[in-house]
Amino acid sequence: MIVDKLEQSLRPPETNMPPYPPKYITLASGEKMVVHQASREDVPRLLEAVRPLVTVEKDFYDIVAARLYAELLAYQRYRVKDEYVLVGTIDGVIVGIVNGRMVDDKVGMSYHTVAIKRGLRIGAQLFAAKMEYHMDYLGQQEVLIVAESPIGYRRWMIEYELESRPSTWHELGGVPTHVLTKALWEKHKPMKCTGRRPVPPEMLEVAKKLILPSEYPQIPGFKR
Amino acid sequence: MVRKVGIAGVGHTKFGRSEVPLVDMLALAALEALDDAGIRTGKGHGVDQVFVASMGAGLLNRQSSVASALVDTLNLQPAMAETVENGPASGASAVKLGYMAIASGMCDVALVVGGELMRVVTGWEATDFVATMLHPDAEYAYGLTLPAFAGMFTRLYMDKYGVTEKDLAMVAVKNHEHAMHNPVAHIQLVPSFHAIIEDEDAPVINPYVAEPLRVYDVCPVSDGAAAVVLCAMDLADRFPKKPVRIAGIGQATDTHVVAEREVPTDLLAVRLAAQRAYAMAGLKPEDIDVAELHDAFTILEIAISEEAGLFPRGKGHLAVRRGETRVGGRIPINTSGGLKAKGHPLGATGVSQIVELVRQLRGEAGGRQVEGARHGLAVNFGGFGNNVVATILSKEE
Amino acid sequence: MELRMYAYRCTACGKLFHPARAVCRECGGREFEAVPLEGEGTLLTYTRVYALPEGYMKPWLGFGIVEFPNGVRVSGQMNTEDLAVGMKVRATVGVIKEGVGRDYYGFIFEKAAQA
Repeated sequence: MIVDKLEQSLRPPETNMPPYPPKYITLASGEKMVVHQASREDVPRLLEAVRPLVTVEKDFYDIVAARLYAELLAYQRYRVKDEYVLVGTIDGVIVGIVNGRMVDDKVGMSYHTVAIKRGLRIGAQLFAAKMEYHMDYLGQQEVLIVAESPIGYRRWMIEYELESRPSTWHELGGVPTHVLTKALWEKHKPMKCTGRRPVPPEMLEVAKKLILPSEYPQIPGFKR
Repeated sequence: MVRKVGIAGVGHTKFGRSEVPLVDMLALAALEALDDAGIRTGKGHGVDQVFVASMGAGLLNRQSSVASALVDTLNLQPAMAETVENGPASGASAVKLGYMAIASGMCDVALVVGGELMRVVTGWEATDFVATMLHPDAEYAYGLTLPAFAGMFTRLYMDKYGVTEKDLAMVAVKNHEHAMHNPVAHIQLVPSFHAIIEDEDAPVINPYVAEPLRVYDVCPVSDGAAAVVLCAMDLADRFPKKPVRIAGIGQATDTHVVAEREVPTDLLAVRLAAQRAYAMAGLKPEDIDVAELHDAFTILEIAISEEAGLFPRGKGHLAVRRGETRVGGRIPINTSGGLKAKGHPLGATGVSQIVELVRQLRGEAGGRQVEGARHGLAVNFGGFGNNVVATILSKEE
Repeated sequence: MELRMYAYRCTACGKLFHPARAVCRECGGREFEAVPLEGEGTLLTYTRVYALPEGYMKPWLGFGIVEFPNGVRVSGQMNTEDLAVGMKVRATVGVIKEGVGRDYYGFIFEKAAQA
């Protein structure tokens, strides 16, 4: 693709980020959730998966989904620096999406966690996977995190005992920033982060299909 | 004069998340029960008394006098009506009061509805609300909760009787399997035994809630309502379905403060309530064909099954291992899915247990039917066992 | 504020209670005298709770039931990660819940020093 000079000057510089190695987790239902990194080509699919949630007020799905939607677009069209997107799938069906970005080589920033399928702790697993990416694969020292919903505050701030640092601004608009430090990660990782590698090739192949969910527990009677 | 009392109709909303406000939800269950009993609404309905069981209407929904509101929406005036609060045993208490109203000769027909709209608050607010039934200074103020007491009880039970985390997971999986045959159950998903207890991911995907109890040992937070129409048995001919008889009711209390119990693994109020119910019914534990026991925590199903005499002390978990408590086993327990999988809308639970037993004794339980069931036992457990109601239903031949 | 917890002894039969009651379970007596409840006790059972109710900003909290040498059993918070049934613990009194305008005090047990 030829990128003209103006476009070139609009794009953020890109850092070479090591990819997130895919893993799979056995959920309580016995189903295997594969967590893998999405590419820019996957974004249109993900947008479709997120779109129905943009109008769900309950549990702040609307804010989280709308912001994730914009962040996915910005990732696809080079308007955020060093963003990444991880997707959880069961039998190829999208069940959750998380994203974030590298601020610099030491500091990461968590953006959003959306669990489409409920009741299997999928959001918690995907959040842990992105912390794992920042800490164990990008080799970062800290991740800046905010919560937009009470459940998020409970799951991240309280359960990971995140350090409060309101003096540091997060890009999500002044919601008080909390920080996952390397030490906190090492403390909580054993009880929060799990999964196996490598993902068998045929399982990964299915995961990459990124099939759109046919139902949303947040939207009774949903029809695509 | 003591009249015999039966159940002429039952109703039950789908447990889970209610789309409608509290009183509308109660009305849904009530109308289903009235229809089932063949009672025509409107003038001349013949409902003499209404009892509504709710633990949290005041605290969770900021609504009082719910029974009056229900009478209004169903237009059952001038029926007598009151709201009954006895913690998580409110439902069975309301059935007991309905029984007393008819047995005493005070009236002929009573509508009993239990319901709770809990998902209007977060999970931790719900946990806090439930904990208000504990002693305010000696327990609640400490941050102690029902899961905390259940965890401490489980640890003692494991040490004393050799119950394992796997036994508890077996109870959970069994009840979730039963719930798959119950269309009104909240959770329609069977956890994999391997995944929740054996797999290397298990400690993370099924973490501790209150050691040694894990997520899959604890009932979910649910909305829902259940209803029964009680009638005097001498009026049985008025109703399209043969009423199921309330053969015995027993209730007992124990120390409010859990730490004061002399033997911390005993649930004395369960034992006494069950004994009183058996005595009233003229039945023995061996006569029971199906039981709904208050499994707010998996350990409670095991402990209650022993205190109610279905198994010797300390042997309940062995029966679980042998599959005796599943549908098709010797004494199926929690065929409805129990609190674990059907859900536990507090005020609804005691009534919901009765609804399940009626369906079993009528032979209307579909894929979870216990063949030839004649006597059913329900144990509704309030506090951490400080106020327990046991009810025995019998099929009239 | 005096940081002390009490048991309540029935003046008629000597039976001890915690918390206070209006009537003695043993003899029906209605008069009690306060007896300080302190020192070492034995941990009968314990748990760590990870799903704390509203108002607790911690990932988990330990709780236990402790028996004092005088036979009184109480529930309390555990201020040690090293927990075992039968271990000796020492009673302290501290803030068990922060309230608006008023904090709540109660038993917080610590591991007893080795004898």
